[in-house]
Amino acid sequence: MNLSYREKSIWGSLATTLVVYGYYFATIFSGERPSQINRMALARLMSAVFVIVVIEVVYHVVIALTSREEPKDERDILIEGKAYRNAYFLLVADLFMLMGTVVLIGLTPFLTVNLMLFSVVVSEIVSSLTQLFYYRRGI
Amino acid sequence: MAKTLIRNNIRKLRFHCSEMTQQQLSEKVGVTRQTIVAIEGEKYSPSLEVAFRIARAFGVPLEEVFRYESADPEARE
Repeated sequence: MNLSYREKSIWGSLATTLVVYGYYFATIFSGERPSQINRMALARLMSAVFVIVVIEVVYHVVIALTSREEPKDERDILIEGKAYRNAYFLLVADLFMLMGTVVLIGLTPFLTVNLMLFSVVVSEIVSSLTQLFYYRRGI
Repeated sequence: MAKTLIRNNIRKLRFHCSEMTQQQLSEKVGVTRQTIVAIEGEKYSPSLEVAFRIARAFGVPLEEVFRYESADPEARE
């Protein structure tokens, strides 16, 4: 499969997000859950963000050296717009569900923050998948 | 694969322009090579501006590059 620079970039970001946040949420939701955002929970979150930034930077340096980077054109912007639209609707729906859960059941600050982060990560994944879909299928 | 209703002669015109490559055409038009691949494969309908730039790159009128194929079979006749 012949991938463009942009597709390689999206695949890399998607894989990084799935692996790092997958591991982060697996440890967060399976282990002991404090009610407050304590120093340990914050350190875990910061570590996940740091690892993602490092992997993304290294990966993008590698693909920039091996592939020809081209500036965005109208098709890239159109695909990006559709991806943001899908991600936005999902994020808004998630946030309303989360607000309802907080009001009806009540969640600890720790769970609320992590569920909000989870919604953002899922939206990001949907955005990447939408872009990959339109780059392959056509728009 | 989503096919658009806009058909084109880009492949033929590239051939007649001494086998112009997709990369060369993309540089003349100012879009990525992937976009030229998508337009040529009828997987993307370009904006009017890009369509005119493609026609200008070949030095032919727009209707020699693109034609619209109606979805209605009766309208095609």
